[in-house]
Amino acid sequence: MKPLTIIASALPEAPVSEAAAPQGNGLTEMLAGWLPESVPFWGLTLMASGLAFGVIMAFVSVVAMFSTWLERKVAGHIQIRLGPMRVGGWHGWAQAIADGVKLLIKEDIILASADRPLFKLAPALVLGTAISTFVVLPFAPGVMIADVHLGIFFVIAISSVTTIGVIMAGWGSNNKWSVYGAMREAAQVASYEIPLGLSLMPPVIYYGSFSLLEATQAQSGWFGMHWYILDPSVMLVSVPSFVLFFVATLAETKRAPFDLPESESELVAGFHTEYSGIRFSFFFMEEYAAMFVMSAIATVLWFGGWNFLGLAALEGIPVLYTTACMLVFIVKSMLLVFVMMWVRWTLPRLRIDQVMILGYKYLTPLCLIVVFAASLLEYLRFVLSN
Amino acid sequence: MATPTSLPETARRSYWGNVWSTIKSTAVGMGITFRYLWSKPFTVQYPDEKLTTDERYRGIHYLEQDLCICCNACAKACPIDCIEMEATRHGKELEWHQFDLDYQKCMFCELCVYPCPKDCIHMGKEYALVTEDRGTLNMDLLTWQGLTEEQKVRIAEAEAKKAAKKAAKEAAAKKKAEQENREEA
Amino acid sequence: MEEPPQTTPPDQHRLREIELDVRTQDVEINMGPQHPATHGVLRVLLRADGEILVGAESHLGYLHRCAEKIGENVDYIQYMPYTDRYDYLSSMNNNLSYSLAVEKLLGVEVPKRGQYLRTILAELNRIASHLVAVGTYGIDIGAFTPFFYALREREFLLDLFEKICGARLTYSYIRPGGVMNDAPAGWLNKVAEFCDIFDQKWPEYWNLLVQNKIFIERTANVGVMPAQTAIDWGCTGPMLRGSGVDWDLRRDQPYLVYDQLDFKVIVGEGYRGTLGDCFDRNFVRMYEMLESIKMVRQCLAAIEEGEVSHPDVSLTIRPAPGEAYVGIENPRGELGHYVVSDGTKIAKRMRCRAPSFVNLSVVEHTLPGCMLADAAAIIGATDIVIGETDR
Repeated sequence: MKPLTIIASALPEAPVSEAAAPQGNGLTEMLAGWLPESVPFWGLTLMASGLAFGVIMAFVSVVAMFSTWLERKVAGHIQIRLGPMRVGGWHGWAQAIADGVKLLIKEDIILASADRPLFKLAPALVLGTAISTFVVLPFAPGVMIADVHLGIFFVIAISSVTTIGVIMAGWGSNNKWSVYGAMREAAQVASYEIPLGLSLMPPVIYYGSFSLLEATQAQSGWFGMHWYILDPSVMLVSVPSFVLFFVATLAETKRAPFDLPESESELVAGFHTEYSGIRFSFFFMEEYAAMFVMSAIATVLWFGGWNFLGLAALEGIPVLYTTACMLVFIVKSMLLVFVMMWVRWTLPRLRIDQVMILGYKYLTPLCLIVVFAASLLEYLRFVLSN
Repeated sequence: MATPTSLPETARRSYWGNVWSTIKSTAVGMGITFRYLWSKPFTVQYPDEKLTTDERYRGIHYLEQDLCICCNACAKACPIDCIEMEATRHGKELEWHQFDLDYQKCMFCELCVYPCPKDCIHMGKEYALVTEDRGTLNMDLLTWQGLTEEQKVRIAEAEAKKAAKKAAKEAAAKKKAEQENREEA
Repeated sequence: MEEPPQTTPPDQHRLREIELDVRTQDVEINMGPQHPATHGVLRVLLRADGEILVGAESHLGYLHRCAEKIGENVDYIQYMPYTDRYDYLSSMNNNLSYSLAVEKLLGVEVPKRGQYLRTILAELNRIASHLVAVGTYGIDIGAFTPFFYALREREFLLDLFEKICGARLTYSYIRPGGVMNDAPAGWLNKVAEFCDIFDQKWPEYWNLLVQNKIFIERTANVGVMPAQTAIDWGCTGPMLRGSGVDWDLRRDQPYLVYDQLDFKVIVGEGYRGTLGDCFDRNFVRMYEMLESIKMVRQCLAAIEEGEVSHPDVSLTIRPAPGEAYVGIENPRGELGHYVVSDGTKIAKRMRCRAPSFVNLSVVEHTLPGCMLADAAAIIGATDIVIGETDR
């Protein structure tokens, strides 16, 4: 693993070289500069981790709140309604905050017949995994908790841990509908890991790296518009691979038309039927956090990450540049989140056997074809350029 | 029993046909929803903005108190007996005690309106039957403010007249009885 | 105490133990009475082997309100509002069925304008009911948005009903002897306007919901009911026609002015799957809406000025002793009223043949072998209204 870069203070170019930071990461060093020297190294690391966790947690909360509000507004307007309009004045912007407060002060009900340890652990596990995937997202030059060499691999690996939490929740609830939801989730996520991983291969082949930071930097050409999906030489594979990735993402994040684990009109609410209060809100936040992470991965690999037309002109003013980059990255990701919502409010839900058929008979073979085509294309490009 | 996945020939399509029809129908559907995303919402913000009810709307009743003669026709016509009325008659004047309509029962069928001989009970335009207390749903339709002074005078006059009549009658009867007694004697 | 006889030989005992170890059990789940997909307080006890259902048993009666018994205790006219409440999505048709039965007892015929108004309202009510049926069906299989578009058109219809009778759901408009009152000025033009609007909006539901690939996948070949099964179980309405049986009371036992109207009876074709699947039932409902619009247009062209009610039928009805049964084509099937009179102003016997109840009985037979998610799809396609099944 490469050393960790610094929050908000790294140089725009290139990750910190290994010689410059042999032990800790930028954050640790920053803390070391502020604190007396008597603080041991492990203390600094712990503090840095705590700080990073706090920042991510705050970001996830805001993203989840904004997404719930957006979801309800999008659903409302698609359904020729208005959605929340009362709390906070302008278009009910504070609705999500009000909901959060309500969920916090609600009674936390645990069934007498529930498996208490599993029931209590499940929401924490689910939210924890969702948060940890944020670690590798490159928001802006330097704004990144950790530049992991195998960043993409890390996200896929960690995000599928959610399934274990969902199964725990379903089993621990002692409710047959919940068990159905959990089992569907297990089957669905296990199947869709394959197309999800395969559909990520074309960009990986193109960049020659699993690192999300390197992928972003590779797309900075053409005044910031040299995105993978816009590169005409690879468009033949980049567009299909994105569509396949998007479909697999919908299944991975339990979004319609693959929302079988919680399918409202069949399983009441699926695995979180018996949850209430803050524990329920953890599942809720996880869903939106996972949506954001998956959209962010798509943004990095297909849509140029923080790169945008003419953004490099601001490079002289570091604060402004970093802010603008972050904004571009978040807006791009939120646009993809919006598309997910748009799909949800358009399509009916698939049945579990159809989900399996789609995963194994359609997505997986198509992904294999696209990966093969991408390899071929890369070989041709290599041959032609030499 | 055939499993739902075994498709007969009519429904079975080619592999690429399935892919194409999925993409096409999804795109069509998303086009429709996208158009609506930017269209004007159809709903109204209820308590702030209310839709007008029509002329013939069957809402909470209103009673034209002055016309009502407490004939109980509406109460008899009601399929669920939700109207209760009571009044004391002083000649032509009515001293009202109650005219209750229980909206926990009422189903707004308008059958009480038709038999009214004076055409004094009507369906109104109010519809919000929202309350925190069920008791308030048993509504008093009376607008009656007690007997007016004029009415009291008229009632007193009528009663005085009645009393006088009665007294005269009694006096006449007495006279007659006395006369009969005398004749017998 | 006597020892139990040892039937299992020792060497087989071990095998039996293994068998016991892996012995599985079917899951028994209560779908309802509070469940999003049962359209009310229906309880279906499902037995499932994983996702595949192996048995189903429906339990009714959560919404029983003694409607028929009430009919034997109140006046003829007083019973009319109760008929609204069987199938609250098609109150006009319920009123119509009851009124026709009482009129048959009385032996009166409603004036022409009254008949045309009744036909227009019955057909508009059919559209309103089918809009909810198709819209909620979308919700049952996970598409939430078409429901709201359907409700928008229904809103226009409810406004029309409000204009003519003052109520938006329980109309009590069609009554023995005619209708409550004549249509207000300009109402018929509004109906014509609705017909034009609906013709434009109909393709939207078709493209957004019914033509969607996922919708087709979810409904085609699901809950297949062959024609003979449908007939054997006494199904009527779109359930029967979805199975390919060409039977519509409006054409085959005409009442009102249906014999003068030109319309097509929509029958399932099974062009997306097997004949008689859930897709066909929705297909029938979708196209019946268009046929209804056609009928309304014809009625609007033919309607004349005149009386709307029979002058001899007053609010107190005392039919001569006798009995009458009239069945009409409700949006859900044949809704019949059987009324026995003993010459008093209260009926001796009141009986309602509810289409939802009969159509629901076949569900138990259709569910086994399907998947759990199909339970919602099949019950939804039956289009039951619990108010009517339980009465």
